[in-house]
Amino acid sequence: MSVKNRTYIRKKIVVSFFLCAAAFFLLAGRLVYLMVGCSEHYTEAAKDLHERERAIKAARGRIIDSTGAVLADNRTVCTISVIHNQITDPETVVKVLAKELELSEEYVAKRVEKYSAIERIKSNVDKSIGDKIREYDLDGVKVDEDYKRYYPYDTLASKVLGFTGGDNQGIIGLEVIYEEYLKGKEGTILTMTDAKGVEIAEAGEERIEPESGNDVYVSLDINIQSYATQLAMQAMETKQADSVSILVMNPKNGEILAMVNVPEFNLNAPYTLPEGTPEPATQEEKQNALNQMWRNGCINDTYEPGSTFKIITAAAGLESGAVTVNDRFSCPGYIMVEDRRIRCHKVGGHGAEDFVQGTMNSCNPVFITVGMRIGVDSYYDYFKKFGLLTKTGIDLPGEAGTIMHKKENIGAVELATISFGQSFQITPIQLATTASSIVNGGNRVTPHFGVKVVNSEGETVETLQYPVQKDIVSAETSETMRYILEQVVENGSGKNGYVEGYRVGGKTATSQTLPRGSGRYISSFLGFAPADDPKVLAVAIINNPQGVYYGGQIAAPIVRQLFENILPYLEGMDYNT
Amino acid sequence: MAIRKKRNPSENYFDYSLLFIVLFLLGFGLVMIYSTSSYEANMQGHESTFYLKRQVMATVLGLAAMIVVANIPYHIYERFAAIAYLGSAALIPMVLIPQLRYTANGATRWIRIGGMTLQPAEVAKLGIIISLASLVCKMGRAIRTTKGFFTVLAIPLPICIMIRLITNNMSSAIIVFGIAALMLFVASPEYKKFIIMGAGGMAAIALLVFAISQASMTEGMGFRSERILAWLNPEAHSSDKGFQTVQALYAIGSGGILGKGLGRSVQKLGFLPEAQNDMIFSIICEELGLFGAIAIILMFLLLIWRFMVIASNAPDLFGALLVVGVMGHIAIQVILNIAVVTNTIPNTGISLPFISYGGSAVMFLLIEIGVVLSVAKGIRLKDI
Repeated sequence: MSVKNRTYIRKKIVVSFFLCAAAFFLLAGRLVYLMVGCSEHYTEAAKDLHERERAIKAARGRIIDSTGAVLADNRTVCTISVIHNQITDPETVVKVLAKELELSEEYVAKRVEKYSAIERIKSNVDKSIGDKIREYDLDGVKVDEDYKRYYPYDTLASKVLGFTGGDNQGIIGLEVIYEEYLKGKEGTILTMTDAKGVEIAEAGEERIEPESGNDVYVSLDINIQSYATQLAMQAMETKQADSVSILVMNPKNGEILAMVNVPEFNLNAPYTLPEGTPEPATQEEKQNALNQMWRNGCINDTYEPGSTFKIITAAAGLESGAVTVNDRFSCPGYIMVEDRRIRCHKVGGHGAEDFVQGTMNSCNPVFITVGMRIGVDSYYDYFKKFGLLTKTGIDLPGEAGTIMHKKENIGAVELATISFGQSFQITPIQLATTASSIVNGGNRVTPHFGVKVVNSEGETVETLQYPVQKDIVSAETSETMRYILEQVVENGSGKNGYVEGYRVGGKTATSQTLPRGSGRYISSFLGFAPADDPKVLAVAIINNPQGVYYGGQIAAPIVRQLFENILPYLEGMDYNT
Repeated sequence: MAIRKKRNPSENYFDYSLLFIVLFLLGFGLVMIYSTSSYEANMQGHESTFYLKRQVMATVLGLAAMIVVANIPYHIYERFAAIAYLGSAALIPMVLIPQLRYTANGATRWIRIGGMTLQPAEVAKLGIIISLASLVCKMGRAIRTTKGFFTVLAIPLPICIMIRLITNNMSSAIIVFGIAALMLFVASPEYKKFIIMGAGGMAAIALLVFAISQASMTEGMGFRSERILAWLNPEAHSSDKGFQTVQALYAIGSGGILGKGLGRSVQKLGFLPEAQNDMIFSIICEELGLFGAIAIILMFLLLIWRFMVIASNAPDLFGALLVVGVMGHIAIQVILNIAVVTNTIPNTGISLPFISYGGSAVMFLLIEIGVVLSVAKGIRLKDI
């Protein structure tokens, strides 16, 4: 090989090397661009591809009453699962889990031996048991914590509070209405998986913590609610009634202090039908039975209010000027309306009486006369103005509307029956709200439970506001109504509602349920106190009592007993200041 | 011989640097093969060391072959030039014989002889190195003529075309042609022709890419043009042609500067196809980060530097050209492999020398290293 040859070949070899080196350098530059410049983008994209999300339940907000008692709470429960690939000592795992979870060893063994990514052994396990299992520190056994709704007072205000379903969302009651506030925000556990979706245990997990729901403070008062429940239970038992409802509210602002509908049900076992119920044949029947059990009589059901509705007729009469307190009437025991003879409950008649006495006697002819004087058009307008045609807007789901004649169908007979509370239906809450508005000075309030929403740090997020419609009756009419209704309790048909040392106003009612002549009655009493400045209003309704069924005799005493206990209590608490 | 060695041991040269670089790359490659293949081996129902064991066996065989070849004086090959060329050419059509052919990953590129699989394209690379080196030596000064120039360029073409058409292996065809081009570049004193050829080639490629990207707006595409489009915008084609590229980019990009740590790749868990094979470099990036990737590139640079040193000091032109051929082979494969996984060029199957999984590839590479060591042995220390 010539020297010249050798020189250029050597040079070319070096040039080749540098060409390669240059290519390497460019590729290294490309790598820097990809691994530093684009790293974020590709890391993010790869993460999206590799990570699997598992939800972590958020702690649901609590429901807290006006005394600070927690009515709906969360309990930490555990889910116990096994990860097949991580189990090192299957025999001990089977033994321990079977013992602690009170399961058969065969059942556990079957799950432990099953080849799957993760196998659930048992959920809704008490936290104490979960902690115990965790202490064994067994490989491949996972204890996940979870929240479960828990109602410390079991049956208390069950139909008001409602309960939650499996995925922690509200099913009935306040739990539904305040779902948005209560539910919180789910967190996530991100785990790495391979292309087949199998979790990579070594990669660990990333958590996005859940946000707890907000607490909802309600106007219910656990003491009043408990006592009212006792009274209702007593009444239901002694009168062998189908059901008893008691509603206690603040007539000034619409806050509901108690809403009892016995029989209540256990909120911690909402799918268990009451004892002694025959096992439903079909799923549908069971669902119907459950729906029946969950019904809140105060708002979901309508009834003919009967004589308590005379409060409305009286207010409309006074407001329209159709009647004054001094107007005189005469009751022969019946009244003719067109060709119909409508009887008074007192067969012999009440004789001569003024309007106040007529109300005290709950005399049907007096109110029919007043209704006639008001006239269909005007009466219907008052009916509407008092808010009876619209729902009350209470913060509970499923409020029933008023069942009322169409205006054009109201003739003299219909008007006469409406005047003393028959031939149409309203809900108890509607009656209580309308009566409240009439005695509180004429402001139509919205009945409600929700007071404020407080976040988990204890800061008030929202103070709940409710519409008030002013001046549905004048202040004078309102005052007159308070006076008349106090007379009813002092000296009239509601005297069983009288409470020593307090001024109580009220009205009784005894209505026969449809069809007439069935012998089924609804006895009720609506009372408020103090009569000159009502701070509390209560309605007691006894559905289908046996034996004596007069509202004045069986419903009024319930309200009396209630007032005897809660009036001093409310004063002591200085509730309204 | 033995007596002479004893008398003057420093007279003979042995390139330990080259040997150790190769051994390092092999060792590193085995670690990475275990890391990348254990998951897939498990998924296929094998033990996790399934691929590792096979590769270790091929490596051991290759090392033995390397030692043997290193001790054979390389001048012998000059006599077998014609056989090397014709033999390589003859092996390629054998993949068409049903009794011999072996198919993997949907490509028929192997022949099976007595339990061993062999890729004719690998043989052809070695064959073309030997036959071209020999041819250039025989031509002597004739290489300087245009006729000589094009003769050398034309010799590998039949083999390239066969590899491309029969085994449908575009990348190996390009590598064989690239080896020949580099050898010609070194052997010929010319620069101008190469610059023109290079520039012309670049222009043609640019034109082709431009034409395809324009045409894609209007009509349906063939297999290869789809690859070009996937190259231009892999994430838009991530569901088919760009899938592997996108997965490789995820692996590389998510590695970052320091990587996720050896064995911690997620992309190898079934996301990235061929993770232990053509795409192993992207897993290196993911696990060892930019530092690991640059370190490996530096190792290859060192290797090529050793080739340069040996080629420059080779006792004769034939030896020098053999080393240049091997250098071309390894350098081209490394460059193309990294270019593919980083989506610098369109996706085509090229393995990373010494590191990618593949038995016949590593064996032939080690034989080539043996040839280089044999050439290095001919260097007398006083010549350096």
